Amino acid sequence: MSSRRQFIQTTLAGSAAFAGFTACSGGGSSSGTGGGPPPPPPPPVIPGPILVLVQIQGGNDWLSMTPPTSGANAGAYAANRPALAIPASNLTDLGGGIGLNKDCTGFDLLHAAGRIAWIPGVGMQNPNLSHFTATDFWGQGATVPDGTGWLGRWGDAAFAPTEVLRGITTTSDIILMNHGRKRDFVAVTSSGDFNFPTLLRSTAQIPDSNFLKSGYLYSLTNPGTVIDVSAAASEGKLFYDAASQFSGLITTRTPSVPYPGDTGYAIANVSTQLASQLKLVAQMIASGIPGQVYTVRLGGFDTHSNQLNDYPRLMRALGGSIKAFYDDLGSITTTVNSQSVKAQDRVMVVGWSEFGRRIKENNGGTDHGTAILAFALGNMVKGGFYGQGYPDLTKPDANGNMIFTTDFRSVYATLLEKFLGYSDSKGILGATYPTLGFL
Amino acid sequence: MATFDAQQGSWTASDAMHFARRAGFGVTPEVAATMAAQPVTSIVDAWIAQSADMSAFNAALAKADVISTRANQNIPEDPAPHPFRLEGWRQQAGIPNAQGHFAWRMQFNPNSFQEKLALFYHQLFATGAEKVDNTAFTVKQMDLFRAMGTAKFGDLLLAVSKDPAMMIWLDTVLNRVRPGSSDIPNENYAREVMELYSLGVDNGYNQQDITNLAKALSGWTLLPLDVQSNPNNPSIRKPNDAAFYVNTNVHATGTIQYLGATFDIGAPSNYGDACIQAILTQRGTNCATFLAKRLLTFFVNPAFSSQALADLQALILAQNFDMKAVLKAIFKSQYFFDPSHRYNLYEGPVAWIVRMSRMLCPDLATALIPSLPSFPAWRAVAPSFNNAGQAVLDPAGPNGWAEHAGWINSNTLRYRGKLAASLALGETLAGTQAIFPTTVASWFPTPPASSQDVFNRLAALLQPAPIPSDVQSTWLNGLWASGFTWDNSSATQAKVRELAFLILCSPHAQLH
Repeated sequence: MSSRRQFIQTTLAGSAAFAGFTACSGGGSSSGTGGGPPPPPPPPVIPGPILVLVQIQGGNDWLSMTPPTSGANAGAYAANRPALAIPASNLTDLGGGIGLNKDCTGFDLLHAAGRIAWIPGVGMQNPNLSHFTATDFWGQGATVPDGTGWLGRWGDAAFAPTEVLRGITTTSDIILMNHGRKRDFVAVTSSGDFNFPTLLRSTAQIPDSNFLKSGYLYSLTNPGTVIDVSAAASEGKLFYDAASQFSGLITTRTPSVPYPGDTGYAIANVSTQLASQLKLVAQMIASGIPGQVYTVRLGGFDTHSNQLNDYPRLMRALGGSIKAFYDDLGSITTTVNSQSVKAQDRVMVVGWSEFGRRIKENNGGTDHGTAILAFALGNMVKGGFYGQGYPDLTKPDANGNMIFTTDFRSVYATLLEKFLGYSDSKGILGATYPTLGFL
Repeated sequence: MATFDAQQGSWTASDAMHFARRAGFGVTPEVAATMAAQPVTSIVDAWIAQSADMSAFNAALAKADVISTRANQNIPEDPAPHPFRLEGWRQQAGIPNAQGHFAWRMQFNPNSFQEKLALFYHQLFATGAEKVDNTAFTVKQMDLFRAMGTAKFGDLLLAVSKDPAMMIWLDTVLNRVRPGSSDIPNENYAREVMELYSLGVDNGYNQQDITNLAKALSGWTLLPLDVQSNPNNPSIRKPNDAAFYVNTNVHATGTIQYLGATFDIGAPSNYGDACIQAILTQRGTNCATFLAKRLLTFFVNPAFSSQALADLQALILAQNFDMKAVLKAIFKSQYFFDPSHRYNLYEGPVAWIVRMSRMLCPDLATALIPSLPSFPAWRAVAPSFNNAGQAVLDPAGPNGWAEHAGWINSNTLRYRGKLAASLALGETLAGTQAIFPTTVASWFPTPPASSQDVFNRLAALLQPAPIPSDVQSTWLNGLWASGFTWDNSSATQAKVRELAFLILCSPHAQLH
């Protein structure tokens, strides 16, 4: 049985699909631990970059999304997944002994076009297999927890006070990732009545918004010493500030392509959960809303049971929604510094999940695991495989889980430095992590 | 002296309102005054014993259509399908039905502690209706919390583990291990019962404990009862009830090591029950710490000291997890009534809108008079709960919701504003039925003599944290710019309603 190092070398050799593989600049280390000089500031990749982060919630069983098809890993996969292994007939070859689940609608085309970077085996030290701890670690993105998330801290450092729409989530809650010390991302769950105040069921406005704002502003500048209302005051003011900018910019829009659930979409009964959020993001981009980072979410991946039925549905929702979004962006022209830029050339979609799942299946599903598959997708992406390689399925940890190969903060450092043009990733992440070469 | 030893001696109406906001859904100043005239101990005892007369409430629940979108529609007895529209076969439509039913109960239950405890345990044992896909089971779990909310925690934990909604939610019914086989158990519930429901993450257990508990719980399943067809689609048949049993064909046997003890899980006397009970017997200190954190955060002080935590943990252990004794000790303590614990806790959005509607809408007796405005149309309000931050009965995950400041963000405040507008400004459905039936005159037992009187009365009802006088005067001078008069004109009513709306939307009114 080959070592993990040998396995990586073996599977990577001679594969055209791995032409873009770039080992972390930190060399053989599988986890950036800081030290060494910070990388020089990178040139901006593209004008007006827009990042759309997809939270694949529940723990994506990516061994069912991009399973191994040859070598020792394929043998381990078949042995551990007697009922759930994805048959070869349902896989598209990605090269390098890895297949793509055909239910992940449209990703085969994007891969063939060289638009997807795959980063298998992304994870963290000492995983405890809790959804919530893992999600918090992913959100925190730092060595020391302080109640903020890496995107929130980036916003603290990069956003001007008036740039309240630069960080947006389409979820109704604000996950830790989007919490800053100064300010949170703003939540936009619908475009139709994102103004204030309106009634509950009608969009008729009521007349005293100025009174309301004055009350919030006063509370913000006079937060009180005994009773602290600052959290509500700052979030309320954030909403009023965001709404006043938003309502002046947003325009109605019909998507240029059918999304899952739309009339004309080729596959029936696909969840619209992610599609509706990505439609809203496309509408905001087309309207000139100045969002630079959007976070969206697709839930349902906690497949402890019924995985044979559920996972294909989840893949169709994930792949189909993102592919429709990518195609839809092709019809949108935006303006950056008075220049026309195609939205498709500005937007990169990045998918993450809090953990992968146990290598060995249970009776119909898979339990909590460790390392994930991250992917980045867009016209600016150099397609291929990145990071430190596919985990060795023949050498799991003591709980039967994959041992991660690439530290998750390498992904963040790459996004900050090479996409968002923010050179001080160490200031955000607490240490220097090697960047990946897909941009 | 330990934190909870010193008992509150006497109390004021303000203290009584603080107690009712935390242990219920608020009381009016008039009710608070009657409470304050009696000893703290007797009020708290009666409140926790849930000794108020339930007959009018139960009669209304049995006869009235409490979840109709038509606020005035009190329908008479309706044998089948029964009027609450909570049968098992109702799927997506059943979630807002059940949410509306729960909100109605919170508003009108004369023993509001029963509903507040149900809300507390729902936040703890968060179970999502969408996956359960059986409205009757979702409601049944709330009834379990109402019935056992003041029982011993270990008994409740075992009952929750066998609750149909929970068994579907976290896959217990799909956890199958054939005796003597190498089948891998489904460890979903085994993990979360310790991580989320009794010990806290990484607090006294490891992965091997999870795997072994999952084996002990394999074969736990349900016998469907009272199966009913969807009248609109007879092929959809769902049970309205279910009985727990152990299917020994898929229940692992043998001995396991779990939390440092050995269990024979193949013995009929222990098909897993003893392992659930072992969480308290083997890890009682860890469980008491976990429970103390949850109780302090929900009822008293989210920024509790380590001393307060240690003292409540010790109290829980000393009371052997008897929740009635623990809750009484908390609510009678000087610690609970300490001035620094007023308005130090953001209120969840559902409890918040329920409490405000209790202050502004008619009480049950008035609402039941056929010619008068009736119940809030909670069925029409419920779909907004998610955007307000709490899709009650349908949380997205088994960890429930982040409490306190977790309730507050730009989107949830946006929707709290909408809920406030609907309540205070008298929004109507289809231009006729008020979503929240309200009459301005009913808010003022005596006519106010000044705009400040109007504010003071509304603040006494809605009980925000003290709103700065500068903000009050800005609002009052703006609304009554040309002088104050009190009459029944629509212009006056509109000003009073706007003032109520402004108070409801203020940052101060989000605390309780």
